[in-house]
Amino acid sequence: MAIELEHYLILGALLFSIGLYMALAKRNFVGVLMGIEMMFNAVNLTFIAFSRFPRFADMTDAERLSGHVFVIFVITVAAAEAAVALALAMLVYRNRETIDVDRMDLLKW
Amino acid sequence: MLSDWGHVGFLLLLALVFPVGGIASSWMLGLLKIRPQAPDPIKEDIFECGVETEGTAWVQFNFRYYYYALLFVIFDVEAVFLYPWAVSLDEASVTGFIAVVTFIVILTIGLAYAWRKKALEWL
Amino acid sequence: MDSVNRFGPELILLAMAAVIILADIGWALAGTGAERMRRPALGALALTGTAASIIWSALLIAFDEQGEAFSGMIRVDDFALFFNFLFAGTAAIVILASIDFLRRNRFVAEYYALILASTAGMMLLASTIDLIAIFVALELTGISLYILVAFMKDGRSSEAGLKYLLLGAISSAVALYGMAYLFGITGSTSLDEIGLVVSEANGETRSALVLAMVFLIAGFGFKMAIVPFQMWVPDVYEGAPTPVTAFLSVGSKAAGFAVVMRIFLTALGDGSISSDWATVFAILAAISMSLGNITALVQGNIKRMLGYSSIAQAGTFLIGLAVVAAADPQLLLGTSAVLFFLGTYAFTNLGAFIAVIAISSKIGSDQIADYAGVAKRSPLLALGLTICLLSLTGIPPTAGFIAKVYVFNAAVQADLVWLAIVGVLNSVVAAYYYLRVVLNMYTAEPASEESIQPGYYLGLAMVVAVVGLLVIGIFPSPLLEASEAAARVFG
Repeated sequence: MAIELEHYLILGALLFSIGLYMALAKRNFVGVLMGIEMMFNAVNLTFIAFSRFPRFADMTDAERLSGHVFVIFVITVAAAEAAVALALAMLVYRNRETIDVDRMDLLKW
Repeated sequence: MLSDWGHVGFLLLLALVFPVGGIASSWMLGLLKIRPQAPDPIKEDIFECGVETEGTAWVQFNFRYYYYALLFVIFDVEAVFLYPWAVSLDEASVTGFIAVVTFIVILTIGLAYAWRKKALEWL
Repeated sequence: MDSVNRFGPELILLAMAAVIILADIGWALAGTGAERMRRPALGALALTGTAASIIWSALLIAFDEQGEAFSGMIRVDDFALFFNFLFAGTAAIVILASIDFLRRNRFVAEYYALILASTAGMMLLASTIDLIAIFVALELTGISLYILVAFMKDGRSSEAGLKYLLLGAISSAVALYGMAYLFGITGSTSLDEIGLVVSEANGETRSALVLAMVFLIAGFGFKMAIVPFQMWVPDVYEGAPTPVTAFLSVGSKAAGFAVVMRIFLTALGDGSISSDWATVFAILAAISMSLGNITALVQGNIKRMLGYSSIAQAGTFLIGLAVVAAADPQLLLGTSAVLFFLGTYAFTNLGAFIAVIAISSKIGSDQIADYAGVAKRSPLLALGLTICLLSLTGIPPTAGFIAKVYVFNAAVQADLVWLAIVGVLNSVVAAYYYLRVVLNMYTAEPASEESIQPGYYLGLAMVVAVVGLLVIGIFPSPLLEASEAAARVFG
């Protein structure tokens, strides 16, 4: 059995859903962050799969590679985002002595 | 295609058999009273390369490590961009060179900032 | 060189951000003697950057230097230039309004640099025509804003920053997933190419396209702050430093609408798919307006109230987007209505938030009840805030009135009469809570007689905003022509 585009897409969708679930259900901030990273990586997998199995036979290398280039940018941005997120987590911990997102309740109406 | 993965599958099998076999045989020999049963606090302890364990693994790390992680990430990600450029150096020509130099200059400003803000010192 | 030239307005902002950081390092090296000059000089540098950006954009128009840059990554056209002016102007007013707030803060250079970087990201969002660049611009805007929201470093501000970052990161991942499918279906990241493939698409890819569209709406809906992606708005607006809230409510929202217009009109503008998103936007517009206004009614904190009001306003902008594709051929009236509304909204909301900065920093409270009798303590500030609130309600002769008439007229022309009726009803509800603040300021007895004097810079920013919205209200034609010219880009 050969591994085709749809297998990668299904795997990507599963990873994305697990990541989204983690991001919404985890109480620890770092857990939420891991969920978000997982979502980004699911997207990366999807991009690479679409590059590997081009939709049109006449796609040039440059067009196919734009999927790879996209992944590089996503990795970079995810790293920057994680750096800011951890800095914020430290800031919140200093203020509140917790990084439990359920206890972020200073602001509500 | 699939047969290429057979080698990996074989290794995976071996990797599973080795620890599971060890634990299972020890348990079997214990049942048959061949293996002696002599508990001892040192034997029961967590094996940590001969070093005695101290406290739990759930300790808070000093947050200063975070700065190092951050600086590492910056220059790690730099390499992600430099590698594709280096591979296609011929085609990228002068424009590509200028772009990469600009990129590195921007990162250097970040490093200079971190340096001035004493992020590189262990206070 | 053409590329660099056309990229100029963004480039000058980013270069100025770097200069500010380097200058700050230089000041630290120069010793304590020069310390007194640091804050004014850094503020002047930041303002120079925004002014240079505006001048560069004007020169691009004057010399007719429009077109693509960086091999089809950026397209500088009337649409992009419209937003260049909008964002650079917003940034300049926000910087003016921040000078007093930064007197007590150590990280002046970082603040200005982040504002400039975020502004450059917003400009890029309006001018990029490639998914990769759109994503990078989105995150440049977003990440700078996450830090700015948490800038006060106290419990409330950091909590607001954390919430904004979490929801922002999730939403950008969702938008990214939509982009991945768009790339997969069409085999290209360029919006023009995608539009070409989409218009030739047959039935088999339609469901995948709809999936990508839903993900994109969910991802960018966060930036636009429309229901049901609005949960963060009140918390973040309340917790963030007020100048940042002003920047967020105008800049970030306008950037969201700019990128949505780019993607949906260029890449997904074909009739077979655009009727779908027009319906989605029409429904979201109705819900956003109603929910935003009704929740705003019960708010006691003026920043939260303005937050909910901005959700309702975003709903009104969405009417314009729904109009575009509801008619076939597309009705450019919708696009230009959104642009015109964004232009007036920028002045109005900035003015309102600047008044809040001035009043709240003096009375030490954001509660509407504490605004009692402000008119006696500072007649000019109260008058300015009143004009802004009247404009948000949509009462002539303010700019908000013309903007609302324009949008509702567009809705009627596109046979979306029900949406126009919902909008008008909502304006009536909105009048209640806007005018409640006005009444409280003019009729209630003040807690103390001490007069409220805004600082010089804050006063200047306030005057710019209020005069701007009155001028647009009385002579709307220049802004109207500009937004029509920008809308023709998609014609």
